[in-house]
Amino acid sequence: MTSAEQSTSETALNTEIQHEHTLYAEPIFTIGNFSVTNSLLNTLLVIFIVVAFGIFLKSKIKMIPGKLQNGIEMVIELLLDVFNSVTGSREKTLKFFPIILSFFVFILLNNWLGLLPGVGSIGQVVLEHNEKIFVPFFRSGMADLNTTLALALIGVVVSHIFGVLTIGFWKYLNKFINIKALLDIPKNIIKDPSILIINPIKVFVGLLEIIGELAKVASLTFRLFGNIFAGEVLVASMTAILAFGLPVPFMFLEILVGLIQAFIFAMLILTYLTMMTSAEEH
Amino acid sequence: MDSLIEIFHIDIKLLIAQAVNFTIVFLVLYFLVFKPLSKIMADRSEKISKSLDDAKKIEEKLVLIEDEHKQSLIDARKEVELILTKANNQAEESRQVMLAKTREEIGQIINVEKAKMQTEKAQTLKEIKNEIADLIMITVEKVLEKKINSKEDKELIKKIIRDSKK
Repeated sequence: MTSAEQSTSETALNTEIQHEHTLYAEPIFTIGNFSVTNSLLNTLLVIFIVVAFGIFLKSKIKMIPGKLQNGIEMVIELLLDVFNSVTGSREKTLKFFPIILSFFVFILLNNWLGLLPGVGSIGQVVLEHNEKIFVPFFRSGMADLNTTLALALIGVVVSHIFGVLTIGFWKYLNKFINIKALLDIPKNIIKDPSILIINPIKVFVGLLEIIGELAKVASLTFRLFGNIFAGEVLVASMTAILAFGLPVPFMFLEILVGLIQAFIFAMLILTYLTMMTSAEEH
Repeated sequence: MDSLIEIFHIDIKLLIAQAVNFTIVFLVLYFLVFKPLSKIMADRSEKISKSLDDAKKIEEKLVLIEDEHKQSLIDARKEVELILTKANNQAEESRQVMLAKTREEIGQIINVEKAKMQTEKAQTLKEIKNEIADLIMITVEKVLEKKINSKEDKELIKKIIRDSKK
């Protein structure tokens, strides 16, 4: 990335500073034995923005909306309509909406904050294995697998919790370990002998579903991480080629990618929630 | 799996930290944005539908009142007409009555006058007759003063005058 004169002028000595784009977030400082990484700092910034905005908006909410409230209400209505097309009912949409909105806002702000000038370009140089390595203070929160994994786990776990609460534990359990199908075999074998073949398949499909759940987490995690990390690398590469003008179109692309990825993540969680809260229908 | 953790530096503490961060964002958005906004949006739509209903009711009432107003106007006009005709009739009636009364009075007056005139005429005639008789007597006396002086003559004259008086 660009130079880091701010913090490194006195350490720029014999060896060259390494501008390496690591796959992981680098620790900036430690509190006790907890190392605070640059992506965590970025996330804290997101929290600060959200809290400040929330408090500001709370004081502004009125029966007769102003421009800000009108705009936000419009966005919420738009999102509600989109979510309705996935969940199929307004009631379900309203139940899921807060958590989906949180995913969307959290990821979107993280992605866009990662594009701000200074993020990834202001940092310090640390000495590691006799090499000077540049460590930025801020790194897009989603370019850290810890964040995306945490989000994916929350999303999938919440979908399971909603599933148990909505359709009951027995039905939920039979989605994965299909005891009901096994119990049905002796009951209906005289009436319908084909059950002997079908229900073991059902049991096996249930077991596959468990792997499916793990795959959900993996796909959510790596899709988001991959897209945002790739975007960072792309912009950094373009900046390395020519710092003036050339990265601009790619910045616009990344703005779009950030929005789309946030939307995709939110919509996928919504889909999982909808799937988990509807009873098994085959 | 270990290599995955190694490559991406997955740290359970960081994972939990990010999960907590997300939870904070969720709670803030839920309590400061979503809850009050959705409440106020629901309130507003309720209020709007209520006002629309009210407006409809008001309009209906207005139509009703207008109808009533028109009806009462028509009624009033009818009543006025009725009163007017009544008054006219009454006026006509009283005029007739007055006329009749006046006529009668006039007739009475005429009758009284007639009677008065009659009596007056009779009186006058009587007086005239008396006067004429006196005149005649005086004249006859004067004419006959010298010739007739006798008692029989006088009696005769008196008799003639009496006859003529009758």
